[in-house]
Amino acid sequence: MSKAQKLATDVLILGAGPTGLYGAYYAGFRGLSTIVVDVLPQVGGQVMALYPEKQIRDVAGLPSIRGRDFIAALKEQADAFSPTYLLGRQAVTVEHSSDAAVVTLDDGTRIEAGAVVITAGIGTPKPRPLQAGSQWLDRGLSYFVVDPEVHRDQDVVIVGGGDSALDWADALSTLATSVTLVHRRSGFRGHAATLARVESSPNTTVLTECEVTAFDGDLANGQLQKVTVTHTSGEERLVAADHVIAALGFISDIGPLRTWGLQLAGRSIQVDRSMRTNVPRVYAAGDVADFDGKVRLMSVGFGEVATAVNHVAVELDPDLNLFPGHSTDES
Amino acid sequence: MAYVIGPDCTDILDRSCIDVCPVDCIYVGERKSYINGNECIDCGACEVECPVEAIVVDRVAKKNPKFSPYLTDQESFFHDILPGRDAPLGDPNGATALGPVGVDTPLVAALPSNQ
Repeated sequence: MSKAQKLATDVLILGAGPTGLYGAYYAGFRGLSTIVVDVLPQVGGQVMALYPEKQIRDVAGLPSIRGRDFIAALKEQADAFSPTYLLGRQAVTVEHSSDAAVVTLDDGTRIEAGAVVITAGIGTPKPRPLQAGSQWLDRGLSYFVVDPEVHRDQDVVIVGGGDSALDWADALSTLATSVTLVHRRSGFRGHAATLARVESSPNTTVLTECEVTAFDGDLANGQLQKVTVTHTSGEERLVAADHVIAALGFISDIGPLRTWGLQLAGRSIQVDRSMRTNVPRVYAAGDVADFDGKVRLMSVGFGEVATAVNHVAVELDPDLNLFPGHSTDES
Repeated sequence: MAYVIGPDCTDILDRSCIDVCPVDCIYVGERKSYINGNECIDCGACEVECPVEAIVVDRVAKKNPKFSPYLTDQESFFHDILPGRDAPLGDPNGATALGPVGVDTPLVAALPSNQ
């Protein structure tokens, strides 16, 4: 928390996907200072996470554009007004003062914002839980390898079939006493070359068509001893384990925003026709926003976030017009 | 909009699709999995992951006689009352928390073995 900052801005945009980036442009165009926060280390949201190389063909005026080029163009457009980007960080709580919404991020940064525009898309990716060991989380179970050294001289069980599971099995094979890689399927999704290295490592055992079904040890003292691994045939075996690392992919969820008192429908936030939520000074736009007749497209999100930001401008300065003027009036 | 799981999933039930679905909207029946169309965000991550190419987008499924019955069947899995249950599944908002449903639609239950 030593790096925790206190910042102030007219508009705080939560989510740096296409809608959030266009919102940053629009806020700048309206003369509002802007901070953009995203949990991912890069801007571009789903476009960059899921289909950066695919051609996008449904944005007005752009017959066909590659995902990453489109994001680069949106960022260039926003950067004309020099917004501040706080990436790799997540908004956790909101408090209300008489003239601002005060949002705290997971690194302790506090941002006093005249208004918050939530453009969080499908939300925050979080690790898919390993149900059998949920009570062991952060004791004998983790979802990431932060520091491989922690696992030196341990018996480690890694669960999963993708690149993360294979990379960690590969990295820990030279440090750990033993590595057991457990995967539910017979085939792995991760790179074949990594798999070949893992399979040839002398202290590594690969168990396919198997799941970790039970944890056993001294839970109170956080000392895991062994896990039960069950084959699809029903055959069970006990595997020595000081630690289990589950790499089962990610599920996106609206996350800490659930505690903000917002009116939610599933993973979406209800808004009115001005893109206002039920929480003062908080707006939403894009895939995360919901209203009767909603269509979840980027083109619609752009219109929504322009609507939101123009209403924010008037909320912050009632002397302003809702209509922003034309961008052609500049220059 | 949604992706659709066709008949080739039956008795294979590989579940690789489930590992990559970012919104946890693929639900396991007994012999086959089903995508909840209200929760699916149309990202397509599952389609490329399926080892038996059982998944297509609904726009393709509509025009393909092999897949088209499974478009309505998939809706039926969530909106109708499945055998042995007393209410429709609806939109559970997450397959992991729900766990395997353990029962299929009548169409899928009646399919011949695919093993």
